This record gives sequence, C-alpha cells and structure tokens, in this order.
Amino acid sequence: VLARAHTFTIEGLQTRHVTVEVDVRAGLPAFTIVGLADAAVREARDRVRTAILNSGFEFPGRRITANLAPADVPKAGPGLDLALACAVLAASDQLPGERLRTHALFGELALGGELRPCDGTLAVALAAYERGMKALVVAPERAAEARLVEGLEVACAVRLSEAVRVLRGGRADGPRGRPSLESPEHERARPLPDLAEVQGQHHAVRALVIAAAGGHNCLLSGPPGTGKTMLAHRLPSILPQLNRDEALEVTRLRSVLGGSPCELAAARPFRAPHHSTTTAGLLGGAQGGCVGEAVLAHNGVLFLDELSEFARSTLDALRQPLEEGRIAIARARHSAVYPARFMLVAATNPCPCGYAGYAERCGCTEAELARHRRRLSGPLIDRIDLLLPLTRAAPRVASEGSLTSSAHAGELVLLARERQAQRLDGEGVLVNAHMDASMLARYVPLDARCEAMLRQARDRGLLSTRGQHRALRVARTIADLSGSDRVRARDLGTALALRPEATLAASRAA
Amino acid sequence: VSSPKPNAACRDCARRSWLLARLSPTLDYRCSDAPRLTQVLSLDNERLIEALAGGRRNTLKSEYRAFAAADSGPGAGTSDICRHDPGYPDALRDAGAPPLLNVRGDTARLLELLERPAVAVVGARRASDYGLEVARGLGQGLAASGVTVIGTLREGISNAVHVGALEAGGAVIPVVGDGFDVACRGRHRSLFERVSVNGCVVSELPCDGAGRRWGPTAAARIVVRLASLTVVVEADDSARELASSHIARTLGRTVAAVPGRVSSRASRGTNAMLMDGSPLVRDAEDVLELLPARPAATRPPARVGHTQLEPRLAEVLERVGEGRDSPDGLAAVDEDPGGLLLALSELELMGLLTRGDGGRYLAKADEGIRTLDLRHGNKDGTGRDNELALVYWL
Repeated sequence: VLARAHTFTIEGLQTRHVTVEVDVRAGLPAFTIVGLADAAVREARDRVRTAILNSGFEFPGRRITANLAPADVPKAGPGLDLALACAVLAASDQLPGERLRTHALFGELALGGELRPCDGTLAVALAAYERGMKALVVAPERAAEARLVEGLEVACAVRLSEAVRVLRGGRADGPRGRPSLESPEHERARPLPDLAEVQGQHHAVRALVIAAAGGHNCLLSGPPGTGKTMLAHRLPSILPQLNRDEALEVTRLRSVLGGSPCELAAARPFRAPHHSTTTAGLLGGAQGGCVGEAVLAHNGVLFLDELSEFARSTLDALRQPLEEGRIAIARARHSAVYPARFMLVAATNPCPCGYAGYAERCGCTEAELARHRRRLSGPLIDRIDLLLPLTRAAPRVASEGSLTSSAHAGELVLLARERQAQRLDGEGVLVNAHMDASMLARYVPLDARCEAMLRQARDRGLLSTRGQHRALRVARTIADLSGSDRVRARDLGTALALRPEATLAASRAA
Repeated sequence: VSSPKPNAACRDCARRSWLLARLSPTLDYRCSDAPRLTQVLSLDNERLIEALAGGRRNTLKSEYRAFAAADSGPGAGTSDICRHDPGYPDALRDAGAPPLLNVRGDTARLLELLERPAVAVVGARRASDYGLEVARGLGQGLAASGVTVIGTLREGISNAVHVGALEAGGAVIPVVGDGFDVACRGRHRSLFERVSVNGCVVSELPCDGAGRRWGPTAAARIVVRLASLTVVVEADDSARELASSHIARTLGRTVAAVPGRVSSRASRGTNAMLMDGSPLVRDAEDVLELLPARPAATRPPARVGHTQLEPRLAEVLERVGEGRDSPDGLAAVDEDPGGLLLALSELELMGLLTRGDGGRYLAKADEGIRTLDLRHGNKDGTGRDNELALVYWL
C-alpha cells in the first residue's frame, strides 16, 4: 500500500518541499530510503522504527520502500523523521491518509517516540503556508515560532502518538508542556546604547543621523580614541524598527541558523566582524548553508571597524551585495543565493598610526600612507555615500555635551523615512540610498544655485558622475530630514562637504 | 671634440656614467653622508676606481679601458650632453659636478629652460599637509611667473612642487637619482610621464642604473647647481634632509627657507636655517624678490578675483587659515551646521580650500591665503538667532 506525507528540507537558506512516499508490500523485511538523503536522513530508518514501536504502534515486518521526492534535491537534517514515521503508519493502515494531504510534518524523533525541535521551523512554516498547506505539526518548543506565520494552523505534538491523534482528526494540544529554554526576552530587555552618551562630535552625530535617515553607507574617519566605534554602535538605536516583511526575513534567517525566536525580531541586526575575517567568513560558503556576516546583517548594519586592515580581496567581494542586495556564491558542487541588503558602516584611521597630517605626531612612512590610501580607494569607497569626520575634540567642544538623544534622533529618522517611502512609493525602493539615476532626476529637483555648484565641482575635478549621484542622494536625505520638498543649496553643500573621497587627501594626490 | 647633435657625449664622459652605475653599491655603503659623497664624486674616473673598487680594482680597470660608448648609449627617447659640448650648462663645469647628463626629452629644450631664471624647491619626503600645500603653491606661482622649477622626483615636497608647476602649465626639470627606467617605476610613473611631456627629466646615471640611497643626494648636488636659488620648504634636522642646503652653502649659493610651526618636527631644519640667517620665503612672490633678475612674468598667476568674497565665506576662510581644520573645530558657537558646511563646500569649489588626510580642511597656499590678505575687513555682525540654533542641527 502506498502512502504520502508532506515535509520540507532546508538547503542553504532555501526551503524545499519534499513528498515522502512510502510503499509497504510483501517481501523480505527491509526498510530502504531513496532520494538523495544525507547521513542524518539515512539514519532516520532506525529512529523511525524504534519510535514507532515505542509509541505503541506496529512496525510492518514487510518490505518498506521510502522515496523522498523530488529525487534530485539533496535532503539534509533530521526534520524528515516525523513525516517518514507517519507515512509508514499510513502505508500499514494504522493511520488514515486524508489529513496527511493537508498537514505538513516537521520534526525529529527520539527513540522513545518524543518529538524533538528542528532548526528552521519558521522557514518551514512559511514554505508550508506558501504551498497552501492547512496545518503544520511541530514540536512544542518551536510552536511559537511557527505561529508567527499568519494563516497557518500550527499543531504541536509532544510525541508521535499525539501527532497521530492530530492526523486522525483529534484536537491539537495547546502550547503546553516543556517551555522553551532560551527566553528571547533577555535580548529585548537589554537597552541599546544611546546617542546621548556621545560628548561633542556634533558634526559626526549629525552625519550619522543623516546616514540612518537615508540608509546611506558611511565611513567614520578620525584619529584613535575619538569615538568611531562608539558612534557606530549607537546607530541601531536610531534606526527605525523592522517592518513586518523585513522582520519575517530576519527572524526566518535566525531560525534557520539555529536560533529559537519566539517572536518577530524588532531591532535591526548589527554585525561587527573582526578585520581578520576571510572572504568566506564575510560572505559565506555555498555548502550546507554556511552564511557569512554580510548575510547575518541583512536588513541591518554591517560595521567594519579598522577598514584598512581588512584584506583587499575581502573588501572587494562586498561589491555585489552592496549593489544588488544579495550574494550569489557558486562553487564546484553547490551554489547558493543569500539575501544581503545591509547598511555598510566602516571606520578607519586617517593613516595607519592615526595622526596623518600632523607631522609632529604621525610616524607613518610615505609608503605606509600610500598603502593605506590604496586600501581605502577603489571600489569600496565608490559605494560609500557619506563621510563622518571625527576630530580630537578641542576643550571648548568637549564641554558642549551631547547633541541629541537616540529617542529624538530616532523620531526624526522615522519621519524622514516616511517622507521617502511616500515619495518612492511604487519604485521598489524604500530609502534614498537605493535610488538610481532615473529616480534622482525625478525626485531631486535642483535650483539654479545647486546646478551651478555641481557644475563647479565637476569642473574642478572634485566629483565624478557617480560621486555626483551620491551627493544628490545625500542632499535629498538632508532635505527630507528638515522636512523640505526642495533640495536647497545648504543641503547640497553639506552633502559635498561630507563626500567620502575627501578623506583621501587631495593635497597628497600627486 | 664638440658636436651639437644629441646623443653626442664623448666616450670618456659616457664611461663615467657607466662607471657610477657599476660602483653604485659601493657608493651606497662607503658614502652615507653628503660631504663625503660630494668629495668622492669629484674624483676623476681612474681615482674613483682606486678609491672604491677594492678587490675588484683590476677587473674593473680592464673593463673600463675596454668600454665602448655603444655599450651603454642613452635609451629610447633619451639624449645626452657632456661637458665637452659648448652648450653644457656653465654651472656644471666645476670638478664636483657630473660631466654628463642624460636627458629624457630634448637637450635643446633643457638648455632653453635653463636660460630662464631657475629656482630649486626641495624638502622632506614625509611632509605635513601644510608643507605639501605650500610647496604646491610655490610650484604654481613660480611656474606662472615664467620661472623654471627644478627639484628631485620623490614623494612629499618634491612631487608637490612639480604638481603645482604642472597645474600652472609650467615646465619643470626634475633631476632623478636613478636611471630613467628605474625612476619611472611604481607609483612615480604617472608623475614621471606628466613632467616629461613639457619639461626634461635629468639623470647622471645610465637608463638602467640604480641610484640606491646615494642617488638622491647626488641628484641634489645637480639641482642646487642648476638653480640660482634653492628654497627648502620642510626639512627636519637630520643630515639627510638638510643635504641640499648643505651642498648649496658649500657652493656659496643662496638658500631660502619656508618657516613652519615651532612644535613641528618636519619644520625643525628649516626653522634652524632661518635662525642662521637664511632668507625667509612665504610664497612665490618672496622667491621672485630674491632672484637676481626678476623675470618678466609670461602671464599673471591664474587667480580668481575673490577680493569681494562674501563676509560669511571670508569669515570661514579666515578660521581655516588659523589652522582650524575640522567642521567641529571650525564651528562657532550655535552656528548653523548646514550653513557652515555649505560655506566650506563653496570655498572648496572656488578652489580656496582643499582637503588633507581624513578630510581635514586646508587653505590653498596660493589663492586661499592671498585672498585673506587682500580682503578688507568688513565683517557684518549678523546676530544669530540662538533659539533657532538647535533647529538647524537636526
């Protein structure tokens, strides 16, 4: 007799639907699994048999063939156990098959018949919903996660026998029993560091607010000890919370990677990889869903401290995610596409020792300076919109106190983002930073004075075409922050003063 | 023996150039300081071998005698001129000067450039932004006044001078301490190519000869001789950086210096020179005053008429001139940051400001500083609205 059950497998970050077909017929007792199963799935044979026996069912002593369709997709992980067991039960007439058509099953079995939670439950729930399944049966630890998907009925089962009861038409148990061990409340409760703690550096703080408002990639530049890292760590506190789609994406990613989120992520991710990180560490590899920091920063912030210390090849590899918002990795046997739309925040000293330009302090040789500039210039700085100049505060400035609090700045950012979203409605982008040249022409109206400034900048060789686009995006954001529909000269002037190429010392470009 | 054709150096002088390249490693470790190097380089060929060749003396002597000029003629695009040519610069006819110059470009062009007043601008390799900016301004101002700018071709002050002179469309004579093929490698290539379009690059070594560490000092002795005045922009108090001024003084030439901050290491040498009585130079105008014959300016320095700078811009420019270099340092209390950054951008677009490492602001040496001097103080006291100040910020 043939029975079918529906489940999902996770390949990289993508979820693939799997139909488990089990056929039980007369013959020598055997249990064969075909369909590109990995070691964990092949071992399921023993788990499934023991779990069935220990749950008070009968394991058919006949020839059992299980096929995991589609047969050409590699299946990984123990999440297929429950579907296999139920299909075996259905094929041996211990379970009616109707509900197996509408209920997706996802979970690992223990030998005693208990259901164990599996990573990626949220991703599976989303895929089940998209495929039109009515319900999903999972272990209770992950039920909360699966319930984040609206419109999908989630049944949690502590053990196999309960899952069978659900499939026979019984009511699902509520989320009773074992509470989840990790409470994500800890994560929420910890307050983010506040901008009010930053003393002085008003121009850099203002530039940070501009960057947050327009989603611009930015570069913090200044001598050591001026608060580059401090400022960068305060960026999440002024960014608006994730919207529902973004939150689902972020939470799904966390779920696949082994977190056990109970509710949607609200705060944007903030990732700060060390400068010794490799290209694979930053972008990820293709095999087995190994993702890099850039992917973990999806919809959030990727902070690269000591930018010039990163390997050149690693930085160059960031080009694709910065342009396309995704990472495509192709290796000999695997290929994968990961989402990676993040805001890049980089920090650097003006020279290796940090005191460039102050001949009495700077101990760098010309060769070191040239090397430092070479690292910074090139493709990466071409994709950075904004320079945050930090300076060793003069005593007068140091006593000035902080410019603003995160709460106040966050409100302004939110307002500016709303203005942008309204304007860019239907363009497929949410923030000014993602506007392309045609949108710039439409949405950044310039008066005669601004036009004259741009012309002058081009004539002086200060601005390339790409540089001009970046300046216009930033100017648009500054106008949005001040609630203006028109881009005024002072907006453009600020954008030009904060252009990141300025850090590369025109005076030394010989 | 005279013949005015290019590539016409006599065999004896070409042999000298070849010999220096052969002895280059020995020169490097035997003559680390400028006085000793100039002394050794003033020996004639036979005695140079005696002094430096050591155990290889006999081999080198026989090679030297067998030398044929065809063995190491000047490379493509290169010509040479030796002291037996009547057109050879008189300044290079004393014993310490090289008997032969390899010229990238045309010797006739070199001689034509040397007929004009010539000023050497030298200085530290590791210079501050201030030094680089002053050097660039000097190069620009001198070139615009029709003066030939002479210098070495190294990082820092030397390169900045050439860049400035090229900006003004002037011609420069960089003297390199290596053969041309060695000198134009790596990051010097682009500047090397730019200077050789209009000017002449000069070297006393054959094209493939490496000058190592002694080369720049040897080049300095040519630079100083070719120029009627030497200006040191930034130099610390080490013998290496003061080599040019030492050589110039030994030759009895005038050496002028640009003052720097007392606290700055990069200006220690130049400040000490001023203390010892060297003439002080602030800009190209001061250099022209020091020249024996003031050149008739071929064209007035390219300068925008900014004497009527708006008061708000003039005020910001003045603050930059005071040495405040970052927006935070430049901001007056309760100033609108957008207005300040706009003013800075406008000044940068006018070419009165430039940016240093880390995006710091610098007044451009020629135009920015001069504009301040020309400005007639008419600050208007527009009272800023303090209540509005915070609204400006965000």
